[in-house]
Amino acid sequence: MFRSPFPLTAVALAAVALPAAAAAAPGPLQISSRVMVETRARAADGTTRLALAPARRVVPGDRVTVVLAYRNTGAQPLAGVTLDNPIPRGLVYRAPAPGSAAPAVSLDGRRYAALDQLRVALPGGGTRAAVPDDVTHVRWRLDRPLTAGGGGEFAFQAVLH
Amino acid sequence: MFVKRALAVMLAGTATLALATAAQAQSAASETTAGTSISNTASATYTVNGAPQTATSTTATFVVDRKVNFTVVTTQTGFTQVNLGQQDAVTTFRVTNLTNGVQDFLLDPDQQNISVGILPGTDNFDLTNLRAFADSNNNGIYDPGVDTATWIDELAPDASVTVFIVGNVPNQAGAQLAFDSLHVTAAAGGSTAVKGTALVATDLNLGNADNTVDIVFADDDSDGLLYLGDIARNGQGRAYAGYQVVTTNVALSVMKSVRVLDDGVNTLNPKAIPGATLEYCLRVANATLTTPADAVTLTDIVPTHTTYVPGSISIGTPGVLGIACVASGSPEDDDADDSGDSDGAIANYDAGTKTLTARLDRVAGGGSTAVSFKVKID
Repeated sequence: MFRSPFPLTAVALAAVALPAAAAAAPGPLQISSRVMVETRARAADGTTRLALAPARRVVPGDRVTVVLAYRNTGAQPLAGVTLDNPIPRGLVYRAPAPGSAAPAVSLDGRRYAALDQLRVALPGGGTRAAVPDDVTHVRWRLDRPLTAGGGGEFAFQAVLH
Repeated sequence: MFVKRALAVMLAGTATLALATAAQAQSAASETTAGTSISNTASATYTVNGAPQTATSTTATFVVDRKVNFTVVTTQTGFTQVNLGQQDAVTTFRVTNLTNGVQDFLLDPDQQNISVGILPGTDNFDLTNLRAFADSNNNGIYDPGVDTATWIDELAPDASVTVFIVGNVPNQAGAQLAFDSLHVTAAAGGSTAVKGTALVATDLNLGNADNTVDIVFADDDSDGLLYLGDIARNGQGRAYAGYQVVTTNVALSVMKSVRVLDDGVNTLNPKAIPGATLEYCLRVANATLTTPADAVTLTDIVPTHTTYVPGSISIGTPGVLGIACVASGSPEDDDADDSGDSDGAIANYDAGTKTLTARLDRVAGGGSTAVSFKVKID
């Protein structure tokens, strides 16, 4: 595994209340994974706002948003960055989160494409169009090099089975 | 070390409703079991100056909480039909666990003294010694001495168990309809043969410690908005049934016959001539096998041109037809004061109206009783 020669300079901006497991080995590309839920909050003007909060009380049928935040903490640009997120067991993929680029999805972890281009082989022969339930992996590719200090977020929505 | 970074852009969305429906239609057994830890980790590949590298994200983990849901329904159609004095009369219910985990359920039988409106009719009596038992041997029938568990132990997701409410019908005149309900409370499971304590929903306002299993009540209002026996999301359920004293009439018939006992002239084949003694026989038969008839009262007016023979009333088991009216009868006096009479059957004769009244104590289901009395032809 790649070991970063550079000291970490990123600064914690705010606490994220998820029990993130021990960080991956330090490298220039830092990725944090969080599972969030939508919460409804009443705004001062009387409207209801949807906000994301860390997933704490989640029961089957609840919708969660998985957020991947990435950042190049190194001094050199990173090319061909590809983030691959297998859907955890128990979660069922639904859609890209609003505001996030749509991922390429895969039914087997090998072939990635847009969902409407994938088909599922039927046991009796033939195929059917893939549906979100079939998705086992999602993947995002950066089409431009990630500059030093650059970062961003991807997110997708899933339902707890 | 890794430093977490705040979410720079709050993600907000409205494309929400359609997302949850598919997963909600699933059964409890296929739902992720409460306590399961779900972890998400992403991996990345990239190149630095042409050298391929990999990276792994932090792991986000949450614990699936307990979504307490169950149903309780009555499985019987209509009321349980009972007789007065019946012991261990049963109404039947069914509890189904829809929680994403194994649960105990506490059972509480209740009388419904007011007309709840869910059931037709009006409640007008209570059963005694009302108890609730789970169907331990799972045969759908209450077996006294076998189905003795007073709570449901370790019910798996999607599993059902039959529950009986058992009670005694009082000997209460006029009793017709008694409503009862089974009140079920979700309780902690996990220990076989240990009665769990009732679950308490985790306070929604409390900061949840991650990696603990919260309790979320997701049960429906099992009796509808109009009735307050249950409300939604309280971890409890209630279903209603009832007992009906359905047999309020029996097939009672009276057969009257007469025979000449003695005419003072012929010893053989006495004739109905003036001075002859006649025996009237009233046989009361109850053709309803299961239900006795109580306090059967017969009245008979002695025919004109005949005179009642004082003290001739006898009440008892019928004898062979045509030979003896009453096989082992008890003689009854003619006066209206029956305080000294202890056999239950009483009778009197009113000479003014020439009316004979006989009150039989009880005609058993399928049984019969006979009353005989004598008159003389004027």
